[in-house]
Formats: sequence, structure tokens, C-alpha cells
Amino acid sequence: MSGPLYLAWRYLLYHRVKTAILVTSIMLIVFLPVGLNVLVGQSAGELTARAEATPLLVGARGSALELVLSSLYFESDAPETTSYVQVTRMAQSGFAEPIPLYVRFYVRKHPIVGTTLEYFDFRGLRLAAGRRMAVLGECVVGARAAEKLSVAPGDSVVSSPESVFDLAGVYPLKLRVVGVLAASHTPDDLAIFIDLKTAWIIQGFGHGHQDLTRSGADAAVLSRERGRIVANASVVQYNEITQANIDSFHFHGDLAKYPVTAVIAVPHDEKSRVLLMGRYEAPDESQQIVRPSAVMNDLLSTILTVQSYVVAAILMVAVATLATAALVFMLSLRLRRGEIETMIKIGGSRRSVAAVLTSEVVVVLALGVMLAGGLTLVTSRFGSAAIRALLL
Amino acid sequence: MRQALTRAALVAWLTLLACSQQADEKLPPVSKQGGPLSVYVVNYPLQYFAERIGGEHVEVVLPAPVDIDPAYWSPGPETVAIYQDADLILLNGAGYAGWTQRASLPRAKLVDTSASFSDRSIALQDAVTHGHGPQGDHSHQGTAFTTWLDPTLASEQAQAIAGAFAGARPQHAAVFRAGLAALETDLRVLDARLAKFARSLGDAPILFSHPVYQYLERRYGLNGRSLNWEPDELPDEAMWWELRKLLPTHPARFMLWEAEPLAATRPRLRVLGVRSVVYAPCGNTPAEGDWLEVMLQNASRLESILKATERKSRS
Repeated sequence: MSGPLYLAWRYLLYHRVKTAILVTSIMLIVFLPVGLNVLVGQSAGELTARAEATPLLVGARGSALELVLSSLYFESDAPETTSYVQVTRMAQSGFAEPIPLYVRFYVRKHPIVGTTLEYFDFRGLRLAAGRRMAVLGECVVGARAAEKLSVAPGDSVVSSPESVFDLAGVYPLKLRVVGVLAASHTPDDLAIFIDLKTAWIIQGFGHGHQDLTRSGADAAVLSRERGRIVANASVVQYNEITQANIDSFHFHGDLAKYPVTAVIAVPHDEKSRVLLMGRYEAPDESQQIVRPSAVMNDLLSTILTVQSYVVAAILMVAVATLATAALVFMLSLRLRRGEIETMIKIGGSRRSVAAVLTSEVVVVLALGVMLAGGLTLVTSRFGSAAIRALLL
Repeated sequence: MRQALTRAALVAWLTLLACSQQADEKLPPVSKQGGPLSVYVVNYPLQYFAERIGGEHVEVVLPAPVDIDPAYWSPGPETVAIYQDADLILLNGAGYAGWTQRASLPRAKLVDTSASFSDRSIALQDAVTHGHGPQGDHSHQGTAFTTWLDPTLASEQAQAIAGAFAGARPQHAAVFRAGLAALETDLRVLDARLAKFARSLGDAPILFSHPVYQYLERRYGLNGRSLNWEPDELPDEAMWWELRKLLPTHPARFMLWEAEPLAATRPRLRVLGVRSVVYAPCGNTPAEGDWLEVMLQNASRLESILKATERKSRS
């Protein structure tokens, strides 16, 4: 090690606290924008991949953002519902495969997603245990939901009533867990999946009850006349679907009019996608079709101003930190005037003294930058996991 | 609380992502092709049609036990899971096999073979309406579902099957068309024989032991009345009384049965001037022969009984 560098190093070691503060300041000011950029790049993949992987969404006219957040992240309030006829309409168009979603109910804080089996294939969800739902009343639980609810295949969960004050409203249905999904690090991990028809049963559009045509049900019957049976309030309705009572479950009315919150459209190709979108462009169209990625980009554009404030704040902090560091060095020079004069008196040239002082600054900067680089590497390695932990 | 935190985190990250978004559209991969189509059906007529049309390019399975009417069969979850893994699931439609309404089946694999004539399905007349709770009255009304007893409707069902096969395996479309053409030829022959029988029968009243012959009745303009008699059960006296009450206004000379009636039933009917003839709907796999053979045997029995009753009338 050369003389000036050695002297600078010994000086920095002697003044450990001051050096540590300076190095930490430099490290942070370098790391903040660089590390943040790395983190932003990674979280971009995490958060928008789901929107990009969802080609199109159809729902009732209203807030496109609410439709996307509800359908992709199960986070927003339930959007305006549309009807199942939209599923049939899309299938009959021949342009796309429809995947209906009915996201309205919860098991504690975990969203219940009423859908069809195609959803699992579409999202690439694999089973860690058990099987997919096969009949009414069965559910498949996301990895994190299973962990939090402490359930496994064979256990049960109960849907939460929508309101404790609405006694005549949606009543809880006991759902049998038949499968647990492998972790996908998406909002699916926190959800509970049921067949769309099971969701309609929770809603009250379908039900199972004792056979009123049998003589054993006399106590529950007010009157029988010419094929019309009027039952009283004591008629037994089932709040759990079992193999013994499943055949009694039935739906009333036209299933085409039953509600869904959204329909995921999976076009067969690019041409089909464009043609399908065209179908929903008519001025009198009651439905909207959205590209989730476009909606998310719109959202990001809207809040770009906020992000620019964050960037400006980081820059201001950087300038302040650099100014403080420069001030520290200048004050340090002033305090070390006697030391500098001593070095000159014992034969050191002004150039050598300048080299020592410059080396101190360079070493501090180099250490700060190296530590910032290390932190950036750590961020790039573990950033994704941190984002998932934060969001899920 | 947790939801609010999650939302806040989501918005915070979206803020940071604002500059880095340019999404590429991703479309799902095309499904794999190859090997015979795995086809699961809900009744035997569809199995027969599918095998005639698909030949060696399809593997058709009817999981219902042979001693159960598939219309009222309800498979367990494990069997439903097997249905889910099929390439295609052929439904009869018209409300047949109610279990399909209570099962989670992949929509894209379902083929409703009677969708093309859903507007011509026959609503059952004996629906029960009941009311309870705040939703008021509702009806458990059903639809007649033995659609294949009308050969023209059976032909439409076969066309739906052929279309689904061609969609799933376009490379074998010519084979499927040929299979369909051969089947339709057989169905036309059957239709012609039944039409000839119906012309000979004219407006003469007949009886159906069970309300499963609605499509046959409509297709050939039969003057039929349905009872609720089971072939393997002895009718009780109330049922006999109802029949005796009916016969003066509907003097039927023969009754169609789904299967051979009990030995004690046949002579007692003869006493009332009613002959028994088996017209098997063949909803499940027959003990002998195939669907077409059973239908042709049905037609032969109708022709025979008509000749017998005509001979008796002449004598």
C-alpha cells in the first residue's frame, strides 16, 4: 500500500464512528435509487404479470378498475353483477373461452371465488393435496388460506354471512375441503374456490330441502292442492351439502339470469380478441370489455404524479446528504489544520498531503458504493420474496 | 385491517411501477392433440351414437352401472372427477341426468347434444309447485328427456356429436362424417318403419306404462295416455281401478312397457282387452345387441302386435 493511501486508511480506522456515518450515508444515497429501481423492476413482474396473463374481462358497465381489482386480486368491493347469459354469449361467439367469476362471499377474510374448473388450468394452479371440486358443496383452498385456516382435505370451512343483521339473507354454507393448491405466490393463494353453482347456493338461488311431496313432510306443509304445495317456515333447508342430501338441491328460475361478477375471456387468437372486443363496442351495449393490462397501466398513469413526488423527494435527500458529506469533509479539513501543518513541517509536500486527504474521500466513497452494490444484489435476490410477503 | 394494509401496499407499489409498464398480450397455449378421444357419456344411446360416428378414433365410456337407469343415477365425487378428465362429455340435455347440474364439469368439454332442438323439448305436465320462505312459489317442473325415441331428434343429437368430434379432431373429420352418414341412414330406416306403423295404427288409442314416450308420441302423432306403472312392480288395486275408469274413454288395445312386465300383470291386462308390448327406451346398455337392434326389435314388436290386434278385430 502506498504512503498516502496507508495514512488515509489509518486515519479512517482511527475515526471509526465518523467514517461509518459517512460510508452509511453514501451507501444509502447510492442504494436508494438503484435498489428501488431493482425492486420496482421485480415488483413490476409480480404485480402486473397477472393483469398481462388475463387477456380480457367482461362485466357490467361501471368502474373498469373495480372490475379488474375484484376479478384479478379479489380485493375491491364486488362490482356490479352481470348475468350468466354473458358466458353463453361469449362461448357462442366462438371467439373466446369464457371463465365466469363470482367473487362476493368470504370465509373469514378469505375471498370465496365461484368459478369453473377452467380457471385452474387458465391460471396454471396445481394441487398440493386432494383433488378439484367435483360436486356442489366442495371447495379447493389456496395454499396460504389453508395455512391460515388450518384446513386440509377432509376438513370443512363455513362461508361468512354477509350481514349479522340480515337474518333472512345469505345464510352460511358449510363447504367441504377436497383439495389444497400449491403456492402460486398470487392472490389465488389466499382464496377459496368453489363451483359457480355452489356460489349461487350461498346466494340463495338454489337450495336443498326435504321432499315436500312425501307424506313425512306433512308437518312442514300448509296446503296441498292440484300440484301446488305451500310449506310453512319449518321446512328443513340444508346448510351443508352431503352425499345424502345432494340430490335434493335444485335451482329455481332461468340459470342464464343468475349473477356473475365478471367473465374472463380467453381468445383463441389475436383476430378473435379484436373481433370479440368489437362485439362490446356498440353504444347500446350494457356490458364492458376491458384489457386488464390496459386498466392497470391507466391506473399507473393516473398516479404517476405521486410517483414523481417520490422521485423528487429521493433526489432532494440525495443532494442534502451529499452536501452534508461535503460539509463534513470541509469541517474536517479545518479541524485538521494543525495536523496538515505538522505533516508539511516534517517534510511532506503539499501534493502528498493533498493525496492523503483525497485518498480518505475516495476510500469513503468507494466503501459506500461497494456496500450499496452489495445491498442491491441482496435486494435483487430476495426482493421478490419480500414483495410477495408484503402483498399476500 | 389486513385488507386495508394490503390495499395500501398494492397502491404504494403501483405508484412505484408507474414508469415501467408496457404489457405484451399473452394468449393461452393451444390444447394438445393426439390419440383417441376420451369421451364420457351420460346414457347408452349417446354411447352408441358416439361409437358409430367416432369408430376407432374415440374411446367412449358410460360409467353408470348397467342395472341402473342412467337418468336417475348419481355418481359419487370420484366418478365425477373421472368425467372431468375426459376430452369430451356428451350430455343428453333436456334435463336428463340431473346430477350434471350438481357436478363441477369443465364447461368447454360439455356437449349438449339436444341444444339444437331445445325449443322443441316437451315440458312435463305434472310439475309440483311449492312455496316457502320469502321467495314465494317455485316449480320443480321438468322436461321429457327420452329424446332419442324420436329418430329425427336422435339424428340431430348424432350431428351434434359428429360436430364436437370434428372440432376436437379435425384431421378425422371425414371419418366422422362417414360414420354419421351411416348412422343417419339407419335412423331414417327406423323412422320409416315407425311412421308406417303409426299410419296403420291411425288414431287408435294406446297406453304407455310410464311417461317416457313423449317424443315417440309426438313424432308419430300417437293417441297415447301415460300411466305410472313399473314393469317390475305389481299394480295395486287403485291403479287397476284408475285403468278401468280410463278405458271407456280411451279404449286402448295395447300398452307399451319399458321392460317385460311381471307375469301376473300381463294376463290381467288381457282380461281388460289390453295387450302388453315391450318398447325398451334402451337408456342403458342392453343385455344383448345394441341400441339400433333394440329399436328395430321395438318396431317389430309394434308391427306384430298391430297385426295381432287387427286379426282379432277382423275375427
